[in-house]
Amino acid sequence: MAFLLRRRHAAAPYLLLAPGIGWLVLFFAVPLYYMAQISLKEGSIDTGYRFTWHFQTYVDAISNYSDQFLRSFEYAGLATVLSLVIAYPLAYVIAFRGGRWRNALLLLVILPFFTTYLVRTLSWETILDDDGWIVHVLQSVGLLGHHGRLLATGTAVVTGITYNFLPFMILPLYASLERIDKRLHEAAYDLYGRRRDVFLRVTLPLSAPGIVAGVLLTFIPAAGDFVNAQLLGTPRQSMIGNVIQSRYLEVTDYPTAAALSFILMAIILVLVLAYAKIAGTEELTGAEGVAA
Amino acid sequence: MTKPPRTEFERRFEAMMNDGLTRRTLVRRGTAGALSISAMAYLAACGSDKLGPRKTSEKVIPKGKIASELVFANWPLYIDVDEKTKKHPTLEMFQKKYGTKVKYIEEINDNNEFFGKVNQQYAQGSSGGRDLHVLTDWMCARMKRLGYVQKLDKTAMPNVVNNIETAVASPDFDPKREFSVPWQSGQVLLIYRKDKIGGDLTSVNELFDPKFKGKVTMLTEMRDTVGSVLLADGVKPEDATLDQVMTAIDKIAKASQDGQIRRFTGNEYTKDILKGDSHAILGWSGDAVQLTADSKNVGYAQPKEGFMIFTDTMQIPVGAPHAYTAEKMMDFVYDPEIQALITAYVNYVPPVKGVKEVLQKSDPELGGSPLIFPDLTNAHNFKTFTPAEETQIDSAFQKAIGA
Repeated sequence: MAFLLRRRHAAAPYLLLAPGIGWLVLFFAVPLYYMAQISLKEGSIDTGYRFTWHFQTYVDAISNYSDQFLRSFEYAGLATVLSLVIAYPLAYVIAFRGGRWRNALLLLVILPFFTTYLVRTLSWETILDDDGWIVHVLQSVGLLGHHGRLLATGTAVVTGITYNFLPFMILPLYASLERIDKRLHEAAYDLYGRRRDVFLRVTLPLSAPGIVAGVLLTFIPAAGDFVNAQLLGTPRQSMIGNVIQSRYLEVTDYPTAAALSFILMAIILVLVLAYAKIAGTEELTGAEGVAA
Repeated sequence: MTKPPRTEFERRFEAMMNDGLTRRTLVRRGTAGALSISAMAYLAACGSDKLGPRKTSEKVIPKGKIASELVFANWPLYIDVDEKTKKHPTLEMFQKKYGTKVKYIEEINDNNEFFGKVNQQYAQGSSGGRDLHVLTDWMCARMKRLGYVQKLDKTAMPNVVNNIETAVASPDFDPKREFSVPWQSGQVLLIYRKDKIGGDLTSVNELFDPKFKGKVTMLTEMRDTVGSVLLADGVKPEDATLDQVMTAIDKIAKASQDGQIRRFTGNEYTKDILKGDSHAILGWSGDAVQLTADSKNVGYAQPKEGFMIFTDTMQIPVGAPHAYTAEKMMDFVYDPEIQALITAYVNYVPPVKGVKEVLQKSDPELGGSPLIFPDLTNAHNFKTFTPAEETQIDSAFQKAIGA
């Protein structure tokens, strides 16, 4: 009896993991396998596709679309930095000065999610209009030339990405800031810490896990985004997501689309691993050690 | 007050509500969601090597009993709607006549996206329950080439045989219209802001004039854009060589790189031109009707070198459960009285003879509109290239428009 109980006990973690693993296998591992297979095929919709280990597709994809790859990482990087700069003070204020308004303020952060991504991006099209007031104001103070515009520029695309992914930065930052024990601040001040020192030596290190999580949550999807470049940019702003979409749907060049997806995934993986190495892996998983 | 079915106020209100939501609207926007769905559908079965052509059956659809249900896949806002009941009067008339309930699904937002979605099903001989789909002629050509559609029994559709407009009756991919029956046609026109450019446009070449830099948009539909540019350079798109097409694409690519062309659009352009983000564009005639009704400042013109005409066309996919009834539907909308109801709502060019006469009585303004009943002597179609050439052209054009 005791033996059986023990066995059931041993199986429990695996049973609990089963739904998650099943999900990952079905919707991640299996599609990934097929994608890899497609990327190495040759042919067209008229002749059918044959598996031929055609690695040349990868070489061509990189040489044909290096511009869009670089642009994607440039835009995603800029948007991530901007998000961090905007989100940190906001999360800080909500966490430490929010008081009873905290939940209401958090709700405001999440509120845009109540409408769809596309509608939110389309509203930026209206905000940045050539004949809109923002453009007129910037023109009258001389920041934009007489024929200058915001819409259909790189600025618009980065603005759109920043806006759309901002909550992914704010929420993890808030979560890590909110966890900070206020007594640590009190202790720091008791020890004659100046505000700057308290922030740099107590608050900032303790919120590092939030920064790491926020950066990853923003940068990874932003690099693959194609909606913002599509709606707020011109062909000169097209990102790698636009290329994948067009190769897949417009040209029905499935192998190139699949190869591009793999290359994108590989680059992001390398960047994330490098980042984790620098930022420290324990912070990726929650940084218990720092607080203790 | 000139239009009995819809007053000026209703028209404006509708335009406001539909802002950009005319025929091909969701084209780009929809792709986001569609991409993930079609990717899933594709992945779901792509392990098998079944992606590829089928053999076209030479047998026509056999006559049979009229079914009680018909599934009709079409583009959004591409059939008459009763504003009060939100139902489709012509489809209700079909039900009255044949007792068939039509399941009308507005699921097609883009030819390529729809192809991505159904490719797997059609390749395996299943229509996914659809009895009819409406796709642009060039995609219909691909559907036929891949053996994804059924051969029609023209003896079951006398209206089609008698009333089809000559201009759309024999495209190069289906000279006798044995695999396809046109639904609506449309013109590719110059549309512009008279107040911003201080006059009128007459030629597509003017879109390359530096004074409109950054204020020009063209269409993501390759044939509409490249065909119009070919015409402007004096090349007939129906006999263009691959080289000539590539030269035109280069010209477009350069204008895009220089910032002359602001962007390439589906019919989001209606919004851009009303807001003033664009001043001189290529657009579709059905939208021109709406745009000129919305704003006195919007003008349109058939390019003097000739204009492109596109035709969206009905086909019956392989494995359609109610193919015979679908033929009856094709025939039904070729009754000029029925077609006139659709034309009065969608404002595109009807492929059916006799509609003009019907409309001239019921709605003289529409009946006399050159947007709906154009002089077709200057109309041109894009040549059907071989699959390999088509891929090369598509690829170059996609690159020109940024991807």
